[in-house]
Amino acid sequence: MSDTTVFRAKKIITMDPDMPVATHVAVRDGRILAVGGADCADQWGGASHDDGLSGTVLMPGLVEGHAHMMAGAMWRYAYAGYHDRIDPDGVLWKGLADIDGVVAGLKEYGKRLGPDDPLVAWGFDPIFLPTERLNRNHLDEIDRDRPIAVMYSNFHLMCVNSKALELAGYSRETEVVGVAKGPDGEPVGELREMAAMFPVMRRLGIDFRGLSQTEPAIRSYGKVAVRAGVTTATDLFATIEDGDVETLLRVTGEDDYPLRLVPVLGAIGGSPEEIAAKALRLGERGTEKLRLGAVKLMTDGSIQGWTARVKWPGYVGGQPNGIWNTPPDMIHQLVEAMHRNGVQLHIHTNGDEASEVSMNAIEAALRKHPWSGHRHVLQHAQMMGRDQFRRAAELGIAVNLFANHIWYFGDQHAALTIGVDRARRMDAARSALDEGVVLAIHSDAPVTPMAPLFTAWCAVNRRTMSGRVLGENQRITVEEALHAITLGAARTLKMDGEIGSVSVGKRADFAILGEDPTAVDPSRLKDVPVLGTVMDGRVFRA
Amino acid sequence: MTGVSADASAKLPMTVVAGYLGAGKTTLINRLLAEDHGLRLLVMVNDFGAINIDADLLESRDEDTLTLTNGCACCTMGADLFMAMGDALDRRPRPDHLVIEASGVADPKRIADAGIAESEMTYGGIVTVVDGVEFPRLAEDGLIGPQVRAQAAQADLLHVSKVDPTPDALLALLAEISGASVLDSGAGDPLSPLLFAIPANPRRSAVAAVHPDYVSYSYEGPVAMTRGEIGSLIARRPQGLFRAKGRIAEEGGASWEVQVVGTQVSITRGPAIAVTRFVGIGLASNVTRGEIEDWWKAALPVPHPA
Repeated sequence: MSDTTVFRAKKIITMDPDMPVATHVAVRDGRILAVGGADCADQWGGASHDDGLSGTVLMPGLVEGHAHMMAGAMWRYAYAGYHDRIDPDGVLWKGLADIDGVVAGLKEYGKRLGPDDPLVAWGFDPIFLPTERLNRNHLDEIDRDRPIAVMYSNFHLMCVNSKALELAGYSRETEVVGVAKGPDGEPVGELREMAAMFPVMRRLGIDFRGLSQTEPAIRSYGKVAVRAGVTTATDLFATIEDGDVETLLRVTGEDDYPLRLVPVLGAIGGSPEEIAAKALRLGERGTEKLRLGAVKLMTDGSIQGWTARVKWPGYVGGQPNGIWNTPPDMIHQLVEAMHRNGVQLHIHTNGDEASEVSMNAIEAALRKHPWSGHRHVLQHAQMMGRDQFRRAAELGIAVNLFANHIWYFGDQHAALTIGVDRARRMDAARSALDEGVVLAIHSDAPVTPMAPLFTAWCAVNRRTMSGRVLGENQRITVEEALHAITLGAARTLKMDGEIGSVSVGKRADFAILGEDPTAVDPSRLKDVPVLGTVMDGRVFRA
Repeated sequence: MTGVSADASAKLPMTVVAGYLGAGKTTLINRLLAEDHGLRLLVMVNDFGAINIDADLLESRDEDTLTLTNGCACCTMGADLFMAMGDALDRRPRPDHLVIEASGVADPKRIADAGIAESEMTYGGIVTVVDGVEFPRLAEDGLIGPQVRAQAAQADLLHVSKVDPTPDALLALLAEISGASVLDSGAGDPLSPLLFAIPANPRRSAVAAVHPDYVSYSYEGPVAMTRGEIGSLIARRPQGLFRAKGRIAEEGGASWEVQVVGTQVSITRGPAIAVTRFVGIGLASNVTRGEIEDWWKAALPVPHPA
């Protein structure tokens, strides 16, 4: 008989209505054997007892249904954002609240670099800094000899120092859209959009392709997950070549790799049929800890960039409607090809028009190829109205809402993008649940930090950075939010038979918490300490 | 223009082929790959699906590259177009010309601008393929219309597919949207002289023999001009002059390199030269050789003060 271990906790929140709360969980072969009290394993022949977690609260391992592997590897660069963040190794990077802070922080960071290394930073967000714009003179204060590039959090802009301008060959004679110039005719250091940024990125060796699928990137992502209490996370628009699968299998297959990884193939680089065939091929190579076979489809842009496709009355500032990253005709073709081949789709839709076109495509595919268990997921789905949620429920579509947006960008959405009426019902978790839609909520890390308890806090409190409550009638309860970051998210990945609750037969994946999230004041949900995770019965300390 | 060096790190010109789904971008690319231009083209496409290479022309094929016996290659660009552009620049020997097939909804200017920004590249223009049958409907489509129109508006050259000649109503619509020259689907065979071939490839000088659909004018002589004079000359160029390239001497031994593609003009410093060389090309339907010659010669009689 295999070894059985019974973990004792102060409290176990199971998310299983048949035994909502327990104190002990028995684990055998990495799976949950029994749940209950100290004697729960007795009828299975007894067990050894592990009291190492007895002072903690356990939950099902949290599930991040929409994030990107680069959330780990981004930390090879310096963080220069406004908000505090914690890196994969647990180091707190204090938010840089003004330009002087950015200069001082990066100067300090530069001391750790070799003499020939460029200084590259990410996450800078001028929206929160009401002072003058960052320019090359600020960055020249950090270092004149070393090229410096500070990427903005939206990745559409960067600011560079004089050395980097010189390397790219940018001067007063340069006439390039996107190379901003000052009143004196000299480049100020700000570069807008990829065409202008590319010459600098190339010379500084900034290549985002290395931030995913490489061994360090996979490991780093695992560390990010442990700190967030996450045991299953997606990489939701993955480029996966054959060699990448080998690397993914090898690293995730190690006993001490702490994450069930779900890379979702980005729908590009082939015809719809070719993409479907590749997804099916990948699906066959999956393991317990590496889940392959789903496809991610882009449709529109972002709301804060005014590139989401929105329905009438559009943007409050009169901006033109957004852009399609995949044309509606192609959305229809891709959805039909995936659906016909039994490939589950995760569809990026920020604006409500993009959600509508995507649902039209799914409905058309369903009429041709009935499939009651498709569970295609609308990802972000930030502007869906109650009618759209009702339609999603009818069509068997799940949603994964971007709840973190309420806190990070809610004030901007009310004032500058879609106006207060629709901002009040953005990321409408209440409507989704009321209409019976399978609901998950997410961080889109590294866009915002991976931290499902914070995401749950956003859905429960709907507070913005300025402190207002944006849409009090769309708030959900703590229990509902905890469901959305466990079983709800697991359902969007079709993994709810294996993970998402502390139930007999499921994987022994737990989040280890320092407090009971159902007992703290809901306004403190985000402050519940995450101490680590358990994956297949093995403990990983944050 | 024999002054262009054939060395491995010569500047890489980049042409972007844009157009909505089904417009005929791949058909155009298939034509370019098969034409006898003597250039080592590198073509980056979204997928190989519709690339149709004569078996006799295909040397080898792997997961992401087709290699042709004529020195051209075709590869898929993956998720990051700009990083793939960097890979193209790193190839040795460097290709003679890079052609990018933009996605059906891409904003071609955002891609083509890299040819201006990157000092190791030159701007080769935006060719937007217009579906001669579907374009009027697509341009009015509530969902995709603005993006389809923008692709035409940003073009340096519009290539109409599927109808020949281009109906007057479509020409009028295109003229409303875009200032670019319109190339009929039946015209311009081969296309490479217009899209790439200034200069004719140094290894194969006969290729750019002028085709009846095009007119070209070239000059070689002692004229010298200042940066300012060149700027005002180029600003006055005939409207139908689609493409021009030259190295123009300046008093004192310096020179200026001039490139014109559609509306895009670049004037940059060049090495000292003794002789000015200049060549311009346009569509026969838009401009005559005489118009180009008259324009250029108007600049000549002004003797430059010593």
